[in-house]
Amino acid sequence: MARTLTRWLPAAAVPLVIAGSVALASAAGADELPERTPEEILTLLADREHQPFSGEFEQSSDLGLPSLPGGVDLPAGEGDAAAVTAALDALTSDHSGRVFVGEEHQARLQVFESFGERDLIVNGTEVWAYDSSENAATHTTIPEGAHAAAPDQQQLTPDAVADRIIEAAGPTTDLSVRDDVEVAGRAAYDLVLTPRTDATLVGEVAIAVDGETGQPLRVTVTARGEDAPAFQLAYTSLDLGAPDADLFTFTPPADAEVEEVTPPTGDHGSEPTDKPQPTVIGEGWESVAVLEAGDIASEPLLAQLTTAVDGGRLLSTDLVNALITDDGRVLVGAVPLERLQAAAAE
Amino acid sequence: MRGERLLGSELRVLFRRWRTWAMLAALASIPILMAVVVRLSSDPPGPGEGPPFLDQVTNNGMFVAVTALVMTTPLFMPLTIAVVSGDTIAGEASLGTLRYLLVAPAGRVRLLVVKYLTTVVFAVVASGTVLLVGWAIGAALFGTGEATLLSGDTIGVGDAVLRSLLVGAHVTICMIGLAAIGQFISTLTDAGVGAMAAVAVLTIVAQVLGQLDQLAWLHPWLFTHHWLGFADLLRTPIVWTSFTENAALQGAYVAFFGALAYGRFTTKDVLS
Repeated sequence: MARTLTRWLPAAAVPLVIAGSVALASAAGADELPERTPEEILTLLADREHQPFSGEFEQSSDLGLPSLPGGVDLPAGEGDAAAVTAALDALTSDHSGRVFVGEEHQARLQVFESFGERDLIVNGTEVWAYDSSENAATHTTIPEGAHAAAPDQQQLTPDAVADRIIEAAGPTTDLSVRDDVEVAGRAAYDLVLTPRTDATLVGEVAIAVDGETGQPLRVTVTARGEDAPAFQLAYTSLDLGAPDADLFTFTPPADAEVEEVTPPTGDHGSEPTDKPQPTVIGEGWESVAVLEAGDIASEPLLAQLTTAVDGGRLLSTDLVNALITDDGRVLVGAVPLERLQAAAAE
Repeated sequence: MRGERLLGSELRVLFRRWRTWAMLAALASIPILMAVVVRLSSDPPGPGEGPPFLDQVTNNGMFVAVTALVMTTPLFMPLTIAVVSGDTIAGEASLGTLRYLLVAPAGRVRLLVVKYLTTVVFAVVASGTVLLVGWAIGAALFGTGEATLLSGDTIGVGDAVLRSLLVGAHVTICMIGLAAIGQFISTLTDAGVGAMAAVAVLTIVAQVLGQLDQLAWLHPWLFTHHWLGFADLLRTPIVWTSFTENAALQGAYVAFFGALAYGRFTTKDVLS
């Protein structure tokens, strides 16, 4: 009988060994970082120097929206309607990808799909975008001195999202620092932004700032009254070496459909004229963006996701509310419905 | 009987069976069918049409092999592994030959290892067949040329061969993990067909569970989780995460189900 038991021992031991090694791998503690005040961390963040790196990132969102079944394409409308559906898709689906940053004005962003990939390659004044599922590329040559205005898609990286949030947060925010965290194998400060106002759905935003380089490594947004983050965008690995320079020279495949796009003319920061800018009502956490959306409300999928409220239809998530008014405007903000209705009436 | 001799005789038995050759022929027919249909069709597949990489096939025949692996990995390939691994112990038991194999002292562990290695060899041969036939038919019908990776960069023939070899290695590792599960199930029963069916059903169940968002916490532990993760090997530069995570996961499955099979088989009463 004892012999029978010993023969089952390996089968009992193997799961223990596996569980043990998984626990060990995830328990590696963060290095000690010197104490800093929130303001010092903001300075660290703002004063960071150009640093070549390559990193993998992951975005996950749990907005309390019914997740759209994979493979179902949202209706591709025109103009603003397309922008709204694209934003919806970006909010409800999880992404992973990689970013490579070389010398200044050299960057490559890759967003992975299961059997596809979207690439954005910026090399000086050359900008290439490639979508493998369409086998289509677009090429833009931006005028000298307008580098910073070009890569819209840079918003997808933790760096860019963190910068935008801090820029937008302003003085209506309480700053604090939590215990140091470890993100992508690097010790980081955890800077917490808490809105001072009650008129927002955002409970807090936590930004992990690399203790050494000041680079934002993770952005976590938690909705008011929730424990689990509604949105998280974080590096899963980071390598602070210069990536292979070949990565930034892109030649589209011979059979790809290549479209030349003329860059927006005008001064630095100005937007292409065919894209109407949303009007923004209010400030900081309470701000509401208003877009002209045409007949977007008639899209069957949107009709399914929204509920009828006073003055239009509401798309409600834990973090963001969007009100589609009967007169064809879309009001979006991280605010309660009442604030949207008040803004619509203004 | 010494281990190598036993392995040699087991391999001879495996590759002398018509069943083995029929399964390999079925696997080989997939790249052939695919390539011939694309060649004969007057309207070549556009980007995003049909299975992944199908539109690449006309540029570079090498991609026939990769597309064929995409198509065979979820079902056809695991079915053949289910047949071979489910049959290892249960098949001998149902034929009444198991006790003759075990007359040698300390024979059970050796038999278990040899049987498992036989299935591993079959897994290598199975994915190798799809790769080689895919390359051959692709090169014959479409020639070899520049291939486009998912990142939009183009690579030459040598690099394309290397990448498809990596994809083949990834699929083989997946099948080696499945073979360990199959062999454990095979030690549970004396009915070979039952073991084969159980392995095939398990493969499908694991893939269905992998589709359910509610079970997201379970997904990284499913043996099918990285089965189609080889797309990451077709980006520039290569993303190794899926490959290494899969290798570690399959290693854990081999260790666990190997240990279970050892526990079961060394304590089992062999009556037939």
